Order: sequence, then C-alpha cells, then structure tokens
Amino acid sequence: MDIMTMLKQLAEGMIVTGQIFFLTLLFSLPLGLIIAFGRMAKNGLIRTISKIYISIMRGTPLMLQLIVVYFAPYYVFGVRFGAGYRMVAVILGFVLNYAAYFAEIYRAGIQAIPVGQHEAAQVLGFSKAQTFFRIILPQVIKRILPPVTNEVITLVKDTSLAFVLTVAEMFTLAKQIAAAQTTVIPLMVAGLFYYIFNLLVAFVMELIEKKLGYYR
Amino acid sequence: MNLLEINHMKKSFGDLEVIRDFSLSVKEGEVVSIIGPSGSGKSTILRCATLLEQMDDGELIYMGEHAAKSVNGKSVYMSKNVLKKIRSYFGLVFQNFNLFPHYNVLKNIMDAPVTVCKVPKEEAKERALKLLDQLGLAEKGKAYPYQLSGGQQQRVSIARALALQPKILFFDEPTSALDPELTGEVLKVIKELAAQKMTMIIVTHEMQFARELSDRIIFMENGVVVQEGTPDEVFHSDNERIREFIGKIEAVY
Amino acid sequence: MKKLLALLLCVTMAAFTLTGCGASEDAAATSEGGERTTFTVGFDAEFPPYGYMDDNGEYVGFDLSLAQEVCNRNGWELVKQPINWDTKDMELSSGAIDCIWNGFTINGREDAYTWSVPYVDNSQVFVVAADAGIASQADLAGKTVAVQADSSALAALNSEENTALTESFAALNQFAEYNTAFMDLEAGAVDAVAMDIGVANYQMESREAGKFVILDDYLSTEQYGVGFLLGNEALRDQVQSTLYEMVEDGTFAKIAEEWGLSDVVCLTADAE
Repeated sequence: MDIMTMLKQLAEGMIVTGQIFFLTLLFSLPLGLIIAFGRMAKNGLIRTISKIYISIMRGTPLMLQLIVVYFAPYYVFGVRFGAGYRMVAVILGFVLNYAAYFAEIYRAGIQAIPVGQHEAAQVLGFSKAQTFFRIILPQVIKRILPPVTNEVITLVKDTSLAFVLTVAEMFTLAKQIAAAQTTVIPLMVAGLFYYIFNLLVAFVMELIEKKLGYYR
Repeated sequence: MNLLEINHMKKSFGDLEVIRDFSLSVKEGEVVSIIGPSGSGKSTILRCATLLEQMDDGELIYMGEHAAKSVNGKSVYMSKNVLKKIRSYFGLVFQNFNLFPHYNVLKNIMDAPVTVCKVPKEEAKERALKLLDQLGLAEKGKAYPYQLSGGQQQRVSIARALALQPKILFFDEPTSALDPELTGEVLKVIKELAAQKMTMIIVTHEMQFARELSDRIIFMENGVVVQEGTPDEVFHSDNERIREFIGKIEAVY
Repeated sequence: MKKLLALLLCVTMAAFTLTGCGASEDAAATSEGGERTTFTVGFDAEFPPYGYMDDNGEYVGFDLSLAQEVCNRNGWELVKQPINWDTKDMELSSGAIDCIWNGFTINGREDAYTWSVPYVDNSQVFVVAADAGIASQADLAGKTVAVQADSSALAALNSEENTALTESFAALNQFAEYNTAFMDLEAGAVDAVAMDIGVANYQMESREAGKFVILDDYLSTEQYGVGFLLGNEALRDQVQSTLYEMVEDGTFAKIAEEWGLSDVVCLTADAE
C-alpha cells in the first residue's frame, strides 16, 4: 500500500475524530456550566447529586463509560438502537465525561471572582442573570483559559478511545490498517496527526488568551 | 419627607450582635457621616441599607416606600420588583472601588444605565462623558481600570454610581484603600457633590473631612450609637471614648 | 445570543448528517412481512485474512466473502460491523449484530453460542524467531510468550492440559493486536507468540521470509464456526444450509482458494 492510499484512508478517520472533538466541546462546555451551578446550588440535594456525578465521571475510566453508554439502553431498558447509535454513544460518553471536568474548572473560576464584583453589580441594579453573563462570566473565561486548554488538548488524544465502540475515527482505522498491512507506519502517522492537531489547539488558545489580555 | 428612614435596625452574625438598635432619618440634601472604631458596625449599617445584607429586625424605608417592615420582631422584605425599584434610589461607592476590570471606563459608567434602565446608548454616553469631565477624567474614557491610579479608579466608581442618578449616595470608607497623597482628589469630588446638595451618607476615618462636610455626625461603638449631632457637638463631646478616638485618629492622619 | 444558538444548531445538524447518525440500521432489520432484509456480521477488523480493511478502505476477508455470498443467495443486504473483541458478547446479545463470523473458535465456547458446523480447522501454534534456537515447546521454558487477550490461543494456554507448559514460561504477556506482538518478537521483547495458524501464515508471508518459524508441535487443534446468539437456531440453520449449497456447487472452495485458505477449510458435502 502506498503512503497516499494510507493517508486517504486515515483522512476519513480524521474527519470523524474532528467531529468527536468539536461536538464534545460544543455540548460539554455549556453542560459543564450547568453542572457547576448544580455543584454550587443552595439546594443541598442538587449539590449532592452534582457532586456524586462529578465524582463518578472523574473517578472511572472514560473507556468504561463509553461502553456503559452504548450498551446500557439495551441491558437496562431493553431498547435497541440502530447502528448510528455507536457515534451518538461516543459523543454522549465524551460529553458527559468532559462536562464533569469542565464543571470543576468553572466552579474554581467562578469562586475566584471577588465578591465585590457581585455586590457592585447588585447595587447597580443588574439582575442575577445579567450579573453572571455580563460581569462574572467574561472574567471567569479569562481565568480558566489555561486549565481549559489542558482539557482540550487531552480531549484530542482521548478521541482515540472511541475505538472501543469501533467508531471509525482515526486511531481505530490506523490500527486496522496497521493490522492489514503489518506495518507501524499508520500508527506513526496517527501520532503525527494528533500532535499537529494539538499544535493547532494550542495556537488557537494562545490567540484567545492574547485577545483577552487587554485587561488585568 | 425623609429620603431614608432606618428604624430599630438589628443585625447579628451568629452569636455576634453587630448592630443592636440603630435608627436614622436623612432629609434631602443632608450629609451624614458615620464614624467610630473598627468593628463598631458602621459598614454593616451601610450594607444593610444598600440591601447587600438583610437585617434581622427593623424597618428600611426609602422615599416613603418600605423596603422592609418589622413583623413580630423580624424584618420582612418586600418583593423582588419593589426592591428593584428601591435599588434605583441609591448608589454605593465601595472601599475597593469594585470597578469591572473587563470594561473600559466609559463602559463601566454606561453599562448599568443602558442595561438596567434602558437609557438609549447615545444618551448614556453623553451623560457618562459629562460626568467624567466633571470629575476631571475627561481623557480616561478609553482606559481600563488597571491603567488608572487608585484615586482615579475611585472617581470612576463615583461616576458609575452617579450615572444612575440616585437620590442618595452611600460611601463605604471611600479613601481607606488609597495612598495618602491620593485621598485628596477623591475628597475634593465628594465635597463638590455636597456643594451640589447631593444627599450622602459617608462611613469614614477622615475626621477633618467629616467635620468640614457633614451636617450631622454619628459616632458608633459596639453596635450602638454613642453620640449623634452636629460636627461641633461631636467633636467637643464630653464623652471620654469619643475624645480618645478622635484624638488617636487625628494623631495618625 | 440568538445568532449564536442558531449557529450551534447548524453546526450540530451538519455534523450529525455527516456521521449518518440519522440513518438507522438495526441489525435485526426485517421488512414489513417479517422477512429478514439485512444480515449484520460482527467481526474484528484487525484479523486478516478473515476480516480486515483493504487498500480501498473496504472491509474484506475470507469470512466476509462467505457472508456476502450467503447474503446474495438469501436476498439479504450484508452489513459489515467491526466490533471490539472485548465486547463481542454484548454486541451479540444486544442485537447490534446477528452473528460473530471472524475466525471464531468453537472449542471451549461450545455452550456459549449456537454454532454452525465447523468450516475451518485451525490450529494454535507458536511463532518464534528463526534464529532464536527454539525448536520445540520444551525450549520455551523460561521464555517470554505473548498471546492476544481473550483469544483462542490464550484459552488453550490456560486449559488444564497445558498447565505445565504455561507454567514453564518466564512470563505470559497479553497484547491487543498481532502487529504489536510481531514487533515485540522482532525486537526480542518476547520470545514466542501463540496464535492461530492461518493468521500466523499471513503475518509471516507479509514479513521478511525466513525470519520467523512455526514450531512443529502445535499447541492445540481447533475449529472455526459462525457463532449465533444462543437459541437462534432458525438463522443458524438458514445460513448453514446456504453454506452447504455453496460447498456443493464449488463456490465455497473457490472462495477459500481466493483467500489462500484451501489447506485449512474443512467443510465438505459429507458433513451434511
């Protein structure tokens, strides 16, 4: 097999890897914020549930969570989904897992904002929602950028875990090509791809950081 | 009519009684200073009056409208909507300024009028520029808070409070976080406001300033009013504790 | 804010359309009359020559060719579903696949599935480096042996009759797929790899000739069948009778020849 054919095959996997990556961020970033609110809720029950959720999601392997999300509908509820559910399960598993990590990052960020910011906004007549979205969140985002960058870089590499549900993302394909051709080159190419992807992620995050550097 | 009326305010944090029984009426155009040693409850009064804290018992009335009533020895606060309206009657200037770091000076001043009071942007901007000019910050509209000195930041925060056109303005130790050479510019601004007959309640350690400016001074200790009166009455008080306090403070500053 | 929401929605929908999440392909798909329309085969896509990905990115292999022919003769649509070998039982019992057809060893699993007749006789063997000076199983004493996790070779090594042999090894390493095992063997990190003979021949052919050898004494002799969900005799019978048809008209032998497996196939018309 020549290298172009291999790259062409891997490219299809890269698209799927990209989809897993972007869809996970798209849903887990907002979900994490909601869980962070749950974690800081006045209601003790909501707080406890959020805490347990975060603890389970961070305390068990992501690979196991993917298997559970995919097979639980049948084994627990007897529901059978079509073959398309594989990809849905992967996205769902990643979103549920990453939301837990993001929730803790948000919480730390929100709690680090001086109480005076809340008080100033309150006295000026801002509603709670206005205070959060106009005053607090922009400052939180600036503060949590470094830990979020860490998570996003980890996510790029974690997408390879989708192989447990044999979703045809890049690493799954790389392993299959490697097996068929009895060569390690596809795995090396995959490694290079993850590295370049992460260089890009780091570059974009740095841009955002710079953009938010206009104030201290 | 009194702009502000506080009747029998009580407040405890756990077992600690911070305010035992505090009452105050403020008329339009009056300047009232609250002085006293640290921990005497001055700041808590301000926080309760500005609804940042809820008092345990007592009444809070702005412009004849109740923010809180006393029912069976407990304060009962009015609905969210009523409190929202009442918040528009007053402004508060914090010891630490609490400017929004991600907004420039102009936006810090304009944001509340535009977002909360739905003032048209152009009008809010005009008003903000005028205030900046008044407070000697005409050049600083585009600057971010971190680029300003403490005194400038505090003047911006005064402008921010004034932009909402409050009936009454509270100051919580407005110069305590400033280097001594920067307090002057802030005190000057407050004096100008007094000259314009702005109604103000000021918690401060600046004795000379309070004496010059105030119509009335309240001396507090351990959650109770020790003496209330004109500056002359308080500064020439027979009360040993007050004389000692004023003597100490003046020696420091 | 509204614009942002609309954008998110668009991105999501586009992404799901691309992945084909909307399309439902149920393994147990039947037409309205209750007739089967598709046949979903679960296989390990890292198991050449029985099932793997070819140069065009298509899943091919001896077993998939057989399955394709069975489907053609029954008017079914073949769905090739790669599975993770560790979760194959969950895939089967949840109905995500109709059968496991992928060099699937019957021995040791007789009661776990409803089996077709054996169609490949496969032995488990040891592959060693030609220059390692290992000539028999006895020479493996004190050596490091690699074996695929959850594989037939592992089952054979763990069986009672091979206890003494297994205990003589310095270590028994489990690996995920054959490629890494051969890399280890090449590098000397392991001394022998236990695996199916068909796979061993394929792996050795695609590598430098004469570098590896198969030990003469086999670890075990085993047979491959098609595994169906326990109790699913109806589907098994239909697939099996089609296989016999293919044997009788020579199609089966032809497919075996195409994949170079004529030596190991064992299904003959006599077995019926």
